[in-house]
Amino acid sequence: MTYLRRPFAVALLLLVGLPLLAVATQSLRALFDAAAWTSLINDAQWLPALGLSLWTGLASTALAWWITAWLLAQGFVRQHLGALLSSLPVMLATPHAAFAIGLVFLIAPSGWILRALSPWLTGFDWPPPWPTTQDPWGLGLIVALVLKEIPFLLWTAATQLQRDDVRQRWRAEHTLAQTLGYAPQRAWWRVVWPQLAPRLFWPLLAVLAYGLTVVDMALVIGPASPPTLAVLAWQWLQDADLAVNARGAAAGGVLALAVLVAALVCRALQALAARRVRRANGARGRQASVSYSLPGLWLLAGVYAAVLLALAVGSVAGVWRFPALWPDTLTAQAWLSVWASLDTVGTTLGLALASTVLALVWCVAWLEVSPRSWDRSLRPVLYLPLVLPAVLWVVGLYSVALQWRLEGQWLGLLLAHTVMVLPYVLLALSPAYLGFDPRAAQLSDSLGHGRLAFLWRVKWPLLRRSLAASAAVGFAVSVTQYLPTLYIGAGRFATVTTEAVTLAAGAQRSLTSAYAGLQFLLPVLAFGLAAWIGRPRRFRVVSA
Amino acid sequence: MTLSVHLKQLGSAQRVLLRDLRFEVKPGETLTLMGASGSGKSSVLAAIAGTLHSVAEGAQALRFDGTITLNGMDLTTLPTARRGIGLLFQDPLLFAHMTVAENLLFAVPPGSRAQRLQQVEQALADAELAGYGERDPATLSGGQRARVALMRALLARPSALLLDEPFSKLDAALRDQFRAFVFEHIRAQNIPAVLVTHDAADIANPAQVLELPAHV
Repeated sequence: MTYLRRPFAVALLLLVGLPLLAVATQSLRALFDAAAWTSLINDAQWLPALGLSLWTGLASTALAWWITAWLLAQGFVRQHLGALLSSLPVMLATPHAAFAIGLVFLIAPSGWILRALSPWLTGFDWPPPWPTTQDPWGLGLIVALVLKEIPFLLWTAATQLQRDDVRQRWRAEHTLAQTLGYAPQRAWWRVVWPQLAPRLFWPLLAVLAYGLTVVDMALVIGPASPPTLAVLAWQWLQDADLAVNARGAAAGGVLALAVLVAALVCRALQALAARRVRRANGARGRQASVSYSLPGLWLLAGVYAAVLLALAVGSVAGVWRFPALWPDTLTAQAWLSVWASLDTVGTTLGLALASTVLALVWCVAWLEVSPRSWDRSLRPVLYLPLVLPAVLWVVGLYSVALQWRLEGQWLGLLLAHTVMVLPYVLLALSPAYLGFDPRAAQLSDSLGHGRLAFLWRVKWPLLRRSLAASAAVGFAVSVTQYLPTLYIGAGRFATVTTEAVTLAAGAQRSLTSAYAGLQFLLPVLAFGLAAWIGRPRRFRVVSA
Repeated sequence: MTLSVHLKQLGSAQRVLLRDLRFEVKPGETLTLMGASGSGKSSVLAAIAGTLHSVAEGAQALRFDGTITLNGMDLTTLPTARRGIGLLFQDPLLFAHMTVAENLLFAVPPGSRAQRLQQVEQALADAELAGYGERDPATLSGGQRARVALMRALLARPSALLLDEPFSKLDAALRDQFRAFVFEHIRAQNIPAVLVTHDAADIANPAQVLELPAHV
């Protein structure tokens, strides 16, 4: 078996590496177009748009990062990480676009927050002409991004903190630091966090790249004139004029450069912070007795609950006069028209299931057979779809799809979804899979079991929870794909996400809510199923 | 500085590990706690250091009833960080993100930078590790790591030291050396120490041995 390992790993690598590299090179080739660059530089909008992208992307990443670190600190010290993480799946499953749509329903001039305060406090009988939904400063976008990325960062941190090998050691080191006189909080920041933070570099980079280049969320809640650079690039890409398309690709190139520079700065800052922590002055910190993390988490969960409630009520709202808290009439109209276009749901489900299965099978095979050194050095390639701006990525994807005659085909869409799903599944699965105690394999060998028997009867059952959770993540990622679905599908395929984002620009509150609600519901069901599959075994006899 | 321990009861909601354990250790002396696995040896140390809550969670969570005093001061309600009790574990637990010197510096109380660094140099010299300061802890041998761990515990200037089978993972020759090194430092610092072990060869002073009852 072992002599087949390397060829098998090579085959796996080719299977995924080739499409990835093909797409990446096609994306980058689109950048070697002098006319496109001149046209970009002569455009009046691109600089302010880039400024907005940098501001929203960097501010949201920094905020999400520090709030996450702080929540983890509290959770670790108070030993209620479990409680902290139990509500995560629902938040994690909430798609960016659905979240933004629901948030708009809360903070819009005619949204629930102002309704609750009107007219008794504000005196408004009509929605005020405030720019709260697509504010020109990008504040709404920043809030939406921060709220959406915190659960993701918390969850990737949890996958590290719950590794058997790591958890016990860090717990012991944390205790040891306290016996040296460090207050629990200080001990976390000096001993645990500096070891955890570098392991979160890739997720952080994904958040950063996402924040700098997001399109669907920015279309819903981001500034409009000028929009962020990613939205601008997307508008140009959809233009009928090829020269304008090329300008869009060039703007994607600028975004890629921005991500690269921001990533380097991030890394440098992390190294600097780590150095400072290691050379600290030895102050032990004060004993803090109050815990704010659970309230903080409840607040976060509360926002999510409000957003989802807004979607649910919005989807059945008929006439709804302004200061009224509840719709005057309820109607099932929106859900009926969703029902009428059931093939949209079918397309969404089919793509999500197929791409998740492909990605999961590949990831398990790769983690199982690839030499550790290959895996480490190839991670940057495998994570390419996470860090390249989606607007640039779809350009490459489209030209590959053209060459392989897959554009506008279901297979092309499947390819597009799978290459996006795969890095997330890999990211989700690796910690538990690689942290699996190698002695179990030796033990199983020594008992005379073959490799397959070991995998089926020991390793995979033990990793059931991680496998199921990673699949749910993959499913959710596929459901939320917006750009690739529209661009590679050539408009011929509609998913709940493309419908929701397209409708968000219009005035059909109930239909938008219904699709956004559905976009949320599908991943949540997937996470629920994953939790059920991964539930711990209940032993009939608890203790003697 | 005398450490007196009186545990009326120690255990979880499900079972009692120990009843009525009482001992006293004078400065510079080492009491040896012996007993079979599961007799609650390590839990006694955790109770003294105030780290019981991190041993187990949920239904297995441990609690105790009793008093622990150091030089007449009651420690029972103090958090670990304020007890001034050092703990040496089975594993050296050197922080992987710090160099050897940074690990030691971490333990030195606040003060002027030069003085703190000087204490680190002194500790390295004591441990016969002068010049090893900039090394990655992972590159040290088992015996060297164990010595660094002890120096780190002592640099925090504890008023008492607890040793949780710190010799069990070393091979026989190293074990004797390190044991002598530890006891020598405890005497030099003149602090009380409690050693947990299940190896009779580890006993510091045959006159001061407590055998914990085995459980059924």
